[in-house]
Amino acid sequence: MSTLEVRRTPTRLLLWFLLGSMVVLYAFPFLYLLLTSFKTPLDALAVPPKALPDEWTLANYQQALAREGVVDSFINSISAAVISTVLSLVLAVPAAYGVSRFRTISGRVFVMAALVTRMIPPVAIGVPMVGMMRALGLTDTPTGVAIAHTTISLPLSIWLMSSFFESVPNELDEAARVDGAGRLAALWHIILPVVRGGVAVTAIFAFLASWNEFLFALLLTAIRAQTTPLVIANFQTQFGLEWGAMTALATMYSVPVILLTLVLQRYIVAGMTLGAVKG
Amino acid sequence: MGQELPGAALRSRLGLSVGAAATVLVMATGLAACGAGGDDASGDGGNTVTVLVEGGGKAELEPVAKAFTEETGTKVSLVELPYDGLYDRLSSEFSSGSVSFDVAALDAIWLQGFADGVEPLDDMFTDEVQADLFPALVEEAQVDDTFVGMPVWTNAEILFYRTDLFEDPKQQAAFKKEYGYPLAPPTDWQQFQDMAAFFTQDTDGDGSTDLYGTDVKGAVETEWLAHVAQAGSPGMVLDDDANVIIDNAEHLAALDFYTKAVTDAPEGASQVDWAAAQNLFNQGQLAMTKFWAHAYPQIPDDAKVKGKVGAAPMIAGPAGIGGVPGNWYLSIPKAGDNKDLAEEFIQFAYDHNDLSIESALGLAARKSAFEKYAGKPGYEHFDALIATLDGPATMPRPANAKWQQIVDTALIPMIQKAVEPGADNQALLDEAKAKIEEILG
Repeated sequence: MSTLEVRRTPTRLLLWFLLGSMVVLYAFPFLYLLLTSFKTPLDALAVPPKALPDEWTLANYQQALAREGVVDSFINSISAAVISTVLSLVLAVPAAYGVSRFRTISGRVFVMAALVTRMIPPVAIGVPMVGMMRALGLTDTPTGVAIAHTTISLPLSIWLMSSFFESVPNELDEAARVDGAGRLAALWHIILPVVRGGVAVTAIFAFLASWNEFLFALLLTAIRAQTTPLVIANFQTQFGLEWGAMTALATMYSVPVILLTLVLQRYIVAGMTLGAVKG
Repeated sequence: MGQELPGAALRSRLGLSVGAAATVLVMATGLAACGAGGDDASGDGGNTVTVLVEGGGKAELEPVAKAFTEETGTKVSLVELPYDGLYDRLSSEFSSGSVSFDVAALDAIWLQGFADGVEPLDDMFTDEVQADLFPALVEEAQVDDTFVGMPVWTNAEILFYRTDLFEDPKQQAAFKKEYGYPLAPPTDWQQFQDMAAFFTQDTDGDGSTDLYGTDVKGAVETEWLAHVAQAGSPGMVLDDDANVIIDNAEHLAALDFYTKAVTDAPEGASQVDWAAAQNLFNQGQLAMTKFWAHAYPQIPDDAKVKGKVGAAPMIAGPAGIGGVPGNWYLSIPKAGDNKDLAEEFIQFAYDHNDLSIESALGLAARKSAFEKYAGKPGYEHFDALIATLDGPATMPRPANAKWQQIVDTALIPMIQKAVEPGADNQALLDEAKAKIEEILG
């Protein structure tokens, strides 16, 4: 081992320790959730709390899945999240591309205004949203929920995509146009493949915004379109909290987004660094 | 980062991704047209009654809804929402002037706030109906002398005690020797304090306490309010004219009694809420707990105390037995489309109130419904619940639209401070009074 390597070893150990501590810090709540989902009702709320179950059980999962509306709520959550994500991308990509390429003052104002809308608490637009959806006949439908969720994800999507497009040099567009491509063709065939990491990041943010959203789902759904966050919350009642079943359902609900994140990890990392590179 | 120039492979991959996304979108859109959760809440228009209900209450209403459908052919959609969510949903729909439901199950403390948005139900409250309801329920159902909700189920804290301890001859003899009277479920404040102190024991002789006489719930307010009623206060926190009376002698006596038990309870009282207290008892760490009656049939099979629990009426203070009823009411929104059908459902729910008792929660609102089951196996706690709800000091919480805010910002913080060592209870009550007067304006 060289002298340099010897000097680096303590630094590396410290870094690994810090990284490990952060992972534990972030992962602990989910780990506790996961472990609680395998506990008996008495263990789940033991005083003082126990990290590991005395007796491992799958009863909470059976109870959660047997509850009326759980499977339907999963389907509704997926429907709303997919539609909302696609809507966000379909609207955000051309908007952000236009803003980044034409660079007008109104374009800048538009992007800023889009971001400002995120500062309005969703609860403030809850009542008008209920009235609008009722007028459109979209209450208690995943479409209505997805449109409501798009109002949350679209501003962020525009902002993100705008920064990703900014990182792509204009020369690429110009080269495409020299080859005879129109604006849309250049966007579709040349620019989008370059910023695919950014699209993936934006899609994940939009998907998560819908997947985890609670308030609009609460206000806009009844029987047919209830999403899983609502069903999870229903385990807490005036008569107590069904910790086991609640944590089991929350664990199951977390799995798809964890898998999605793992599958798209490569694109996410690429997307995260894409905005940092100026062309 | 190295940026790849686009090529055929990339385009192909992107095309595949877009194709996959489009397929998922088509499937999602197909489902989105109607949703996956069965029938529309209001799809049948006049032939469906949509009832907005809190998650726990759904189980109470399911047997009634089923019987209603069988008898009338009218479907009942029970829309289940979490407690806070139900309040938010009701607030937003009443505010918008357009409602998506025909009937709402309202917590008693919400009645005042939503009274302007619901139909009067005075015609339903005949003398016969009022006679079959506990006095506190009848009182609470009225806002400005108008009945705005029909009680559908009620609850109250009663006393749970460990029969294996109370019936143990060794414990009985030791208690009698120390306190001079027989060991039996306590009926008043003094007996409760004696027994809480007596049962705080080191049962395995390892030098540390492993059995406590009772719990002290610092993170909830209702139990202290029950003691305020038992002390004989003319009102809880507020009097009939909404004057703040939290600093009167009865409130102080109740707070002193409530906090004195801290020495006979597990540590960390300020963070003990209903769930924590229920688990402490189920794990066998407490000899007694004051708890909502619905918990009796819900003791888990793997609980250490399973089969060893007795139920007695809430203890009495100077004014007698007193509790705080946890009532829920069915109300009809003024903006509803099916008011006649809604009224028919509420009348049916009242007429068949006993059906709810066979649900998992086992609660009802009518005296006759409770009496029908009292004493039967599994319902041994009903006599205690009836005695508590009929107690001379039992009273509802104040009918004030800002009650929840008072609870969250003044009462619970005050109790959490009061259970800490060295607290000055009178000063805390004075401080809470100032806070509540500020809330009420």
